[in-house]
Amino acid sequence: MAKKDDSSGGMRFSRRNFLKTTGVVGIAAETVGAPDQAAAQSAPPALGPGDVPVRLNVNGRQIDLNIEPRVTLLDALRTRANLTGNKRGCDRGACGACTMIVDGRTVYSCSTLAIEVQGKQIRTIDGLANADRLHPVQQAFCDKDALMCGFCTPGFIMASVGLLEKHPNATPEQIKKGLDGNICRCGTFTRIFEAVSSVKGGQRG
Amino acid sequence: MADLDDLFDQDAPASAPAESDYAWPANPSVLGTHVKRLDGPEKVTGRAKYTFDIARPRMLYAKIVRSPYPHARVVSVDLSVANRMPGVKAALVSKDPAGQNNRVMFQGDEVAAVAADTEEHAIDAARAVKVEYDVQPHVTNEEKALDGTAPAVFTGGNVRAGQPQQSGDIAAGFQAAAHVIEETYGTPVITHTCMETHGTVCEWEGDKLTAWISTQGISGARENFASALGIPQANVRVICQYMGGGFGSKAMSVGAEGLLCAKLAKAANAPVKLMLDRKEEHLATGNRPSAASKIKAGVSADGIITAFDAESWGTGGAGATAGFPLPYIYRIANRRRTHKDVFTNTGQQRPMRAPGHPQGSFNTEIMMDELADKVKLDPLEFRLKNLPPEAPNAMWGSYLREGAVEFGWNKRHATGDPTPGPLKTGMGVSINTWGGGGRGPAKAHCEITADGAVVMRLGTQDLGTGTRTLVAVVTADALGLQPSQVRPEIGDTNSGASPMSGGSTTAASISPGIRVAAVNALHALKEKVAPALNVPAASLVAGGGRIHVKDDPAKGMSWADACKRIGPQPIVAEGDWQRNMSSSTTSGAQFAEVTVDVETGIVKAKRILVVQDCGLVVSRLTAESQCYGGVIGSLNFALFEDRILDRNTGQMVNPNMEWYLLAGMSDVPKIDVRLKDQPERGVIGLGEPPTVATAAAIALAVRNAIGVTIRSLPLTPARVLGALRQSKA
Repeated sequence: MAKKDDSSGGMRFSRRNFLKTTGVVGIAAETVGAPDQAAAQSAPPALGPGDVPVRLNVNGRQIDLNIEPRVTLLDALRTRANLTGNKRGCDRGACGACTMIVDGRTVYSCSTLAIEVQGKQIRTIDGLANADRLHPVQQAFCDKDALMCGFCTPGFIMASVGLLEKHPNATPEQIKKGLDGNICRCGTFTRIFEAVSSVKGGQRG
Repeated sequence: MADLDDLFDQDAPASAPAESDYAWPANPSVLGTHVKRLDGPEKVTGRAKYTFDIARPRMLYAKIVRSPYPHARVVSVDLSVANRMPGVKAALVSKDPAGQNNRVMFQGDEVAAVAADTEEHAIDAARAVKVEYDVQPHVTNEEKALDGTAPAVFTGGNVRAGQPQQSGDIAAGFQAAAHVIEETYGTPVITHTCMETHGTVCEWEGDKLTAWISTQGISGARENFASALGIPQANVRVICQYMGGGFGSKAMSVGAEGLLCAKLAKAANAPVKLMLDRKEEHLATGNRPSAASKIKAGVSADGIITAFDAESWGTGGAGATAGFPLPYIYRIANRRRTHKDVFTNTGQQRPMRAPGHPQGSFNTEIMMDELADKVKLDPLEFRLKNLPPEAPNAMWGSYLREGAVEFGWNKRHATGDPTPGPLKTGMGVSINTWGGGGRGPAKAHCEITADGAVVMRLGTQDLGTGTRTLVAVVTADALGLQPSQVRPEIGDTNSGASPMSGGSTTAASISPGIRVAAVNALHALKEKVAPALNVPAASLVAGGGRIHVKDDPAKGMSWADACKRIGPQPIVAEGDWQRNMSSSTTSGAQFAEVTVDVETGIVKAKRILVVQDCGLVVSRLTAESQCYGGVIGSLNFALFEDRILDRNTGQMVNPNMEWYLLAGMSDVPKIDVRLKDQPERGVIGLGEPPTVATAAAIALAVRNAIGVTIRSLPLTPARVLGALRQSKA
């Protein structure tokens, strides 16, 4: 599962950190021990080709799908469950428009298979607001004009929510690092930073 | 190439006569204020439906088969296997091997397309299309095209030279020069990289087509579909409620991908969605052409540029031009410029945010600092000496002086930061212009109903700039309401004809018509209200959510009560663009401060100051956002973006978003925006102006920091270190 850096310290798969650490360090850190673990367990049962049942818990709701094992979490929700809030920008875990929160950690859902996240709590932008009451981060994005075309916005908001749930009083440096895995082409970073900075302890400051 | 002097010599057009009801108000209520984006809640909740999000009953997914080669003849296309793949409903050939059009001219050129029940099945089927290519020699390297060592690919040659453009006396100009420099400058091809890729959903009902498409021009898209498919325009409805950026690449046509989608939908007799993937987006949906120049320039001892002689070139891809203004803005009496378009086997260029200007700016402004150093003048002083005369649409002198004070320009050291240690700091400055302006027809329809609701309907589109909000701001201001009381209806050709959104023209094109329609509707409402108040309608005004007598606010009634007098037939009024409510040509200046680590070559922008005008500021919050966005776009051009081609295969090696680099939040400097209001000039437009000057200002700040001139972009660590090494050698 692709994980994103939502804590300033422990981020392994932030695009920026990944590139900055020359790749080798990051890859080694993540894969060390994996062969041993695999050897200790029996090989996982083969799935597919063809549709398999997949049960997902999304925004507190159970969704049962019949999909091919290769279908990503993003595509499963967008094209089979009409949860189109999160977007596909690059489809390679580089732009962050697809960012969702799975068991409390932000993930690039374009690089996460749907079958991998069965039994986990999946949160998408579609379920963030409480009916018409916006989440404080959503309200902050509106108030500060932290969006233009809005296509990257769902991913930025989910990344921000993930960050602030871990660090309710995130420092400027934590905010910058925590959101470095998301790209905005319209160039709204300045106001996204202002918006996220204005949410303290889960509330608008 | 546009001669910019033509623009500067115009007087600023007058705005509508002050006595006209339509004239922009002297004391606006909502215009120019910070109004929150109307569709913010839709976008932050994910409820906003982009083309990428459209789902229709029975909808299929399509995938295009594209050439992996930059140049080849298509010998055969075999769809038989693909047609038998699971879920496939239609397949068609785009490059007919037996036809005239059987050559692919760039990597990513369309060859065939398939539609299937799921996206995964469409991808499988596209892979199963068997294409036999006769690979041809290609030209993808500009230098080889220019020096004649590349294979001859294009009819009439790989290079097309334009006529020299000349004015003054070049020889006399160089004779008058105390110093002469001769240098080569250049900027690379970059791609638009819209977050929402190009794409379309097409649905037929008989010979009527409904197309949801990510486009900057719904009216133009309707014309494209109709003429290419041989159906009346009246049979085509185009919808674009939300789009994930365009930056010019979605302005000119629906593209091959749009037409393939419509044809597949017809062939499959089912709605089809065709969204490009990120690689296709880089290869086939446009780019900003490269722009290079070899400039010889002379300067007099007192700092006047006496002569400018340039050869310039650039590639706009396979058969497309690559023009840019040169010299940019500065007044040089004796000058000559010859431009060559270099044709290469790469995807064709499309307009990209301020087409030509960022390139012209970079090629000119680096030269400016080199000349300033020759005569030992501060770069800002040197610019002041060589500007066109100041005018409302040529305010650079004032903005440079004013910006210098705010930015602390007097703290700028001479070229080369003497501070010990690896971190060097520097400042740079650069200026910009852009036309903008409005045009018609841009019909607006205003409807007021007895329940007090106000709808403003027009066939424009919102690229993300905030057009929907602007519609509500202009309407609300005219009616004395709040923007939230207005319902803008845009993004649908059923709402009327409006110009394409490109060239920073949308605000100036639609604002006049909206105001005229709203004022006309208000006239009709006053007629309904006047008898009840027993006053002439002409004595009434709208303000603060009321209709009241002009000099007696107490004598009136609430908006709701006024509208109750409308009756069952709503008030309907129209308006269109009026020349005297908009004008064109902006000016601006930008200051940059950077640090450069001379051990790693990494450049960090620290702060940018934007001084920018755009005529009447309609919606201040979104206008400021345009400036932030423009600066960050240009910062990407300065530091990161580069379409890199493999020197042997001619294929793009970074058609993605991890190696096609764009700024993240940590790369973004402190940005201060100073909008200079010129309400008397009417609405002009702001999309492109702020994205022109940043790159040159950053490059000059780097030069000021390290004492070495880097004459091409992007300023990668490798390029910075290389320049430092070369300077020591």
